[in-house]
Amino acid sequence: MAGAGGGGCPAGSNDFQWCFSQVKGAVDEDVAEADIISTVEFNYSGDLLATGDKGGRVVIFQREQESKSRPHSRGEYNVYSTFQSHEPEFDYLKSLEIEEKINKIRWLPQQNAAHFLLSTNDKTIKLWKISERDKRAEGYNLKDEDGRLRDPFRITALRVPILKPMDLMVEASPRRIFANAHTYHINSISVNSDHETYLSADDLRINLWHLEITDRSFNIVDIKPANMEELTEVITAAEFHPHQCNVFVYSSSKGTIRLCDMRSSALCDRHSKFFEEPEDPSSRSFFSEIISSISDVKFSHSGRYMMTRDYLSVKVWDLNMESRPVETHQVHEYLRSKLCSLYENDCIFDKFECCWNGSDSAIMTGSYNNFFRMFDRNTRRDVTLEASRENSKPRASLKPRKVCTGGKRKKDEISVDSLDFNKKILHTAWHPMENIIAVAATNNLYIFQDKIN
Amino acid sequence: MEVQKEAQRIMTLSVWKMYHSRMQRGGLRLHRSLQLSLVMRSARELYLSAKVEALDLETPSTPTRCPPLSPEPMDTQEDEEEASPRAAETLARCSAHPARVGRKRRSSSLSNGVDAGLVPSKKARLEEKEEAEDASSEVPDRLLPPPAQAEGAFPNLARVLQRSFSGLLNRGPTAPPTAPPARDAKPVCRPADPVLSVLVRAVVAF
Repeated sequence: MAGAGGGGCPAGSNDFQWCFSQVKGAVDEDVAEADIISTVEFNYSGDLLATGDKGGRVVIFQREQESKSRPHSRGEYNVYSTFQSHEPEFDYLKSLEIEEKINKIRWLPQQNAAHFLLSTNDKTIKLWKISERDKRAEGYNLKDEDGRLRDPFRITALRVPILKPMDLMVEASPRRIFANAHTYHINSISVNSDHETYLSADDLRINLWHLEITDRSFNIVDIKPANMEELTEVITAAEFHPHQCNVFVYSSSKGTIRLCDMRSSALCDRHSKFFEEPEDPSSRSFFSEIISSISDVKFSHSGRYMMTRDYLSVKVWDLNMESRPVETHQVHEYLRSKLCSLYENDCIFDKFECCWNGSDSAIMTGSYNNFFRMFDRNTRRDVTLEASRENSKPRASLKPRKVCTGGKRKKDEISVDSLDFNKKILHTAWHPMENIIAVAATNNLYIFQDKIN
Repeated sequence: MEVQKEAQRIMTLSVWKMYHSRMQRGGLRLHRSLQLSLVMRSARELYLSAKVEALDLETPSTPTRCPPLSPEPMDTQEDEEEASPRAAETLARCSAHPARVGRKRRSSSLSNGVDAGLVPSKKARLEEKEEAEDASSEVPDRLLPPPAQAEGAFPNLARVLQRSFSGLLNRGPTAPPTAPPARDAKPVCRPADPVLSVLVRAVVAF
């Protein structure tokens, strides 16, 4: 990891040296709520990076081809397409407004020239087709150049329209709308490895859809109790296995993960595997239940492991071992003694996401003060980095940050009480193959690249 | 006492948060409501056990003397009781066996032997006395009735909050949390309660 005073670490095969690459978004101190980024996702090739925001918009960035004429661009991401995915809606029966905030975006694997993605708000999932148009037909018989129909009596000759190049136009069109299947708020969507189906999960139910069929979905998990007074846990995240199309997992607010096999029964209320770590009685506190709630679950690319994020830690689980995780990484343990204050300012309810790198050797997750944390699973080293405009010179190395937990604060450290809890990094994404990461800091999107890359 | 005050503060805060979560765009969030009610339950249990300890310290022969308590905890408890969909009128029923009434109301679907320790007869009688004290000081409801936004899943919340929360709010609860996070809660280790009382579940479920 890059040292502060020039004394760098010996470069190991897994050592990253992260450098600032780009930042997208307004510089204003006054952040409009609609501009707050709510999801970030690379596509399968990593060439496209999609973000969704609270205003219901999706912005897609495309990586520029590296060219000799602009050697410094080094594969920069520039805006490719912007569209309004969801609008605010009103549920008249319940007198409830449905937020347009994009909760999740998931790309479909590319099958032709067009790109497809699923985007969802609290109630409705949409399949969007993003396609390029760089040619235009000219010389129609029946129409003028501006599209008006020609007077039939004036048509005296026959000609075939020819295709002429035009400025690239990227169009986004909604191809499917999957609505009215969720009573509660959708928290996850996940595309199956069969590329034909996907799941959507809300607080109490998980539905299975076919991408072509919008008027029906199968309910595969239902944890709603007959008597709502007996409700003790909700579903917080769900994901399909990356290779086994019959397997998916879902996490709960009680800190448990259930793995289900769709071959065993139509309704997967009974899990095939149940992952839970026994609670450490010495760390039990007033807010134990809240902070054990899992906010994100992600399979590794290999499919052998999965990672869960709760409020204070990230855990890696081996799918073959249900009794406890194989790794536990503390994200910001210094917050454990501040839980009451974090409850007061609602930060304790923040839902952080986590992600794997392409080779599953490292994991990343966000924290407060625009800090994000990376854990190298092989070297067991971890680093805290910051996404800030102050450190945004092109190719500037990111300096590791350190939070002082008590006692004397060293020179470059920041004390826990000075952390800005309004600057939280909830959403991060790692390029599927290269060491490029996208970090969403409120309304700004930071892109960092590994120097050695 | 410190613990009791802290628990009381957290209970008040939780109720406030629950009330305001209904005003949010997008409607009531089930997960958030569940978490808030879990905290409220923990705070309440902590408060009760601290209260029991405080009572035990006093002379046991005069159970009717109630230590001076501010109205706030009463309201919150009253809130808690009324959150149960089983009628809140049982609380007002100051029968000769308040403890048993309380237990009966709470344990209609579960055996609650474990909870008996948290609902001693002393406490129940105290509640009944404080109920009487407080009934007269109920502030008239100045708040507008909650908008017709109650989700189908939480039919009781509207009634609960409309009836009892107004008094709580008018007594000036903690202001919207704006203070920097400087205060620490002492993490209190308490024995795990394996059996959820029905009352708690009622709160949880709304």
